[in-house]
Amino acid sequence: MSSPHATKSHLDAQATTQPATRRRSSLLREMWKQRAAYLFLMPKLILFTAFILIPIIWAFVLAFQEYGVFGSEWVGLKNFESVAKSELFRSALWNTLQYTVVTVPLQVLIALGLATLIHPLGRLGQSFFRGAFYLPTVTSMVIIAMVWRWVYNYRYGLFNYMLSIFGLPTPDWLNQSSTALWALIIMSVLIPPGVGIIMYLAAMGSIPEQLYEAAEIDGANGFQRWWRITVPLLKPTTLYLTMLSLIGSFQVFTQILLMTGGGPGHATETLVSLVYKTAFRDLEFGLASAQAIVLFVITLLFGIAQYWLLYRKAEED
Amino acid sequence: MRIKHSPTRWLTYVVLLVWAVISLLPLYWVFSTALQLPDYVESEPPKMIPMGIIEYFTHPESRSQIVTDTFSGFQQLFHSTNIWRWFFNSGYISIVVTVGILFLDTMAGYALAKKDFPGRNLIFWLIVATMMVPGQITLVPLFIMVQKFGLMNTHWALILPDLSMVFGVFLMRQYMLSIPSDLLDAAKIDGASEWKTFWTVVVPLAKPALATLGIFTFMNVWNSFLWPIIVLNDADLYTLPVGLKTLQDQNLAIFKLLMSGAAVAAVPMILVFMAFQRYFIKGLTVGGVKE
Amino acid sequence: MNYTKTLAVLATASILAVTVTGCSKDTTATQETASNWTGKITIWDGPRWEENANKYAWIESQKKAFETSHPGVTVEIVQVPWAELNDKLGVSIAGKAWPDLAPVDISGNGVNPTFVKQKVLEPVDEFITADEKKDFLPNAISAWTQDGKLYGLPLGMTVHGMLLNLDLFKERNVEPPKDGQWTWDEFVADMKKLTYDKDGDGKTDVYGLSTYVKNGYYESWPFLYMDGGRPLSDDMSKFTFDSKEATGAMKKLADLKTLPVAPKEMGSGDVGGTWKAFSAQKNVAVEPWATWAISAAQKAKMSNFMVAAYPTGSGKPVTIGGVGGWMMFHQEDAGKKKVLADLMKQLTSKDQQVVTAKNYGTFPTRQSAVDANPFGENLQMQQAQKLTQNAVMVPKHQQWKKIDEAIQSQLQLVLNGEKSPEDAMKEAKKTADELLSK
Repeated sequence: MSSPHATKSHLDAQATTQPATRRRSSLLREMWKQRAAYLFLMPKLILFTAFILIPIIWAFVLAFQEYGVFGSEWVGLKNFESVAKSELFRSALWNTLQYTVVTVPLQVLIALGLATLIHPLGRLGQSFFRGAFYLPTVTSMVIIAMVWRWVYNYRYGLFNYMLSIFGLPTPDWLNQSSTALWALIIMSVLIPPGVGIIMYLAAMGSIPEQLYEAAEIDGANGFQRWWRITVPLLKPTTLYLTMLSLIGSFQVFTQILLMTGGGPGHATETLVSLVYKTAFRDLEFGLASAQAIVLFVITLLFGIAQYWLLYRKAEED
Repeated sequence: MRIKHSPTRWLTYVVLLVWAVISLLPLYWVFSTALQLPDYVESEPPKMIPMGIIEYFTHPESRSQIVTDTFSGFQQLFHSTNIWRWFFNSGYISIVVTVGILFLDTMAGYALAKKDFPGRNLIFWLIVATMMVPGQITLVPLFIMVQKFGLMNTHWALILPDLSMVFGVFLMRQYMLSIPSDLLDAAKIDGASEWKTFWTVVVPLAKPALATLGIFTFMNVWNSFLWPIIVLNDADLYTLPVGLKTLQDQNLAIFKLLMSGAAVAAVPMILVFMAFQRYFIKGLTVGGVKE
Repeated sequence: MNYTKTLAVLATASILAVTVTGCSKDTTATQETASNWTGKITIWDGPRWEENANKYAWIESQKKAFETSHPGVTVEIVQVPWAELNDKLGVSIAGKAWPDLAPVDISGNGVNPTFVKQKVLEPVDEFITADEKKDFLPNAISAWTQDGKLYGLPLGMTVHGMLLNLDLFKERNVEPPKDGQWTWDEFVADMKKLTYDKDGDGKTDVYGLSTYVKNGYYESWPFLYMDGGRPLSDDMSKFTFDSKEATGAMKKLADLKTLPVAPKEMGSGDVGGTWKAFSAQKNVAVEPWATWAISAAQKAKMSNFMVAAYPTGSGKPVTIGGVGGWMMFHQEDAGKKKVLADLMKQLTSKDQQVVTAKNYGTFPTRQSAVDANPFGENLQMQQAQKLTQNAVMVPKHQQWKKIDEAIQSQLQLVLNGEKSPEDAMKEAKKTADELLSK
């Protein structure tokens, strides 16, 4: 997508065995040539550095300290050792992983599927469904949790009512360790991914119609056109949504706190609720930072893996 | 892909409609509880419609009481709280941040997607990586930064950190990747300056993405409450979600009032969504939809 | 462009910040000016009861009174929602931007050991004479004492008691416990009679008892204390909830579900649902609650209910209490400390305790306020006040919140029937022992 010439010369500049001074000056020359790009980026980067990057670095430094209001102490890797030893952390990690691995692909696929169904509708239909799927995201999690608590109520909840129609067992979903996490996963999947639908629709609207017309002339049927044109062209959006969903799932917190409070037992304890408690209940900011760093590294690994799967492979195609 | 024949089309509608109902349930519930008669607010299973509508007809003798009770949540909210002030604060902050983000993130996203410069990948991955750090641990350092800049208890303490959010940069970059570079190159051959290319070619092409970003940003800022609670001390500076929270009793929620608050807070977001939504239809193509 | 403006603001702001902090260092140097200190006091408070549609009316009137009696002192009130008070406090402490005074809410268990450990709280012993101290109830004072020092002043107490829906008792022809006292066996017999099929569809729809289990909430705990079981030994060095007395009581409570006189959801963490079942759906006859629920039930137009003690087993009658009040955060200036102590004393005076008790459903922590009989007409509050004599606080161990979490999460499993009390407490003991040995 980006201009191949520039990439090549940039790579060449790095790979050459010329004297260091020349290499540096050619890098500077390259940077000067692209000064417009830096100017475009600069305002955002200044704010980003001040209010995001520095606080994050700061928080990471805390991970190597035992926090005290009147002076913290350097403790090396002690906080990370506590994280590694903690059984609670391990079970929270396991819960979070289960949650993420199931919800992320489903959320993205459902968004893609619903957007595909909505896109061909007329103007009115498109507007209606876009609103119907997106607007509920204005309601706060507190309210969504209330509604879903009712859906899962074992006596008069909607979910068990439907199961009982088909003669299926009707457990007390949220209050049993064996089902609580799955109830939360099902909930996350059934709440339509409004953000994803909106983004896919915006991206679908930008695909040139001529591409489809050309394919139609080549005799491709509807599904083939979707698979060969729509899906590949949506890849940047898919990447964005998968990444966002991944981050969101690894940091899932509010709805679980409101639905089960992490119980029964520790069946629905997640990593961020652990981080939160460590920081704000116990004021152990150092340990909380260490927990967060472990979470960060895991998320990053997953993120890089999915970027590679979706994007690099796409470029090779 | 277009659906031409009616059987598939009807199936599509059924699937979409069922899911849309599930989706809209919580939002509907907010409004129906806000308008529910106090006696029914806590019934279980919940009453699905405001019972005032029924009782208005079954108890014609007490109609005025029923109307008063139905709207008592809004009445209380507008007459005995500072809601207009909070509304104004939330409104202007959300607008300032949304406009700012649209500028900053489109520029940054454009540079990251369409410019090839040393450090590009580094910056991109740095931005993505910071999104992976849970916000709970950066609250304290951010608080200290805001304090150092002397912004405590001012609206700048909300605006500046919100303007720094990066999900929009990522969004705009991904969207711009799909804009064919030829279109931009053509403009350059015509001798347009960088800024003019950006302003006259890139921005118009990115309208659907700008609309998306605008909606997301507005809602994020409008809804945020933990950070404003932490950095604001002066009740006159409170935003709507913070203000509504300060009405909440310690142990027992006054349900109807809360839902009335949630309903009032939802209205501007719905309006903003409507306003931006017209930019979705027109994308890169002309006449994309055929019946 | 937008960002240049932003930058300008940033630059000026940072310059300002430097000058401001520079100044403040100078002013703090003027110490030893004792009680005629003047300046600004910051006090946080959450919404309390409503007067003229204003839930901050009480603290505002206190501010006015104090500014009149202390010329030159201004009091700045910060309205903080209760639910976020702890988060805001945590961040502010870390940013060394704490308020001068902050409330501990009524469900609080007294002084926060974490704050004491971090040395951000000021002891107030030097400002309280022995006579003043004598007026406070001993259990309230002890809840606010850590390592022999008094950190803050208590304003009101809560206690856990059983709320009985007398309409259901009447309907089932059950005599409510005399003077609100009953033994476990009497209690179970009553629960059996109160559990029935109201609408005649063959399924039980009204239950005798329900309650919930959640970190930091102690509604179900007095049951576990009834045979003398306690979570920690008196010197807080050992975990003792695995004793026969404690696990036996847990089993008795869990068995109520299989009898069945308690619904399936008893023991979940659903606070709101549990409350609704009692107050709105009225399909549970008896629920234990902290006493804030009394005024909530009165407001919910439940006229016919009473407050009783927890059933007694082989141990002494006991319930769990909480003590709210005011704490003073770290101060540099001795003169200011004195003024702040004056304000704390004003806020927790006999008169204010009576007013708070009447409007807020808490019990006074001063004998003089108890003697003023604030609950003249309020039968249920009078019944509940009797329970305060037997109130004990949860252990004030530094690691208590983590120990509590370990116990409560296991307790959920016990009440769910997923684990035996013995196995569950063995698990909790593992975590607790590790925390206790720190």
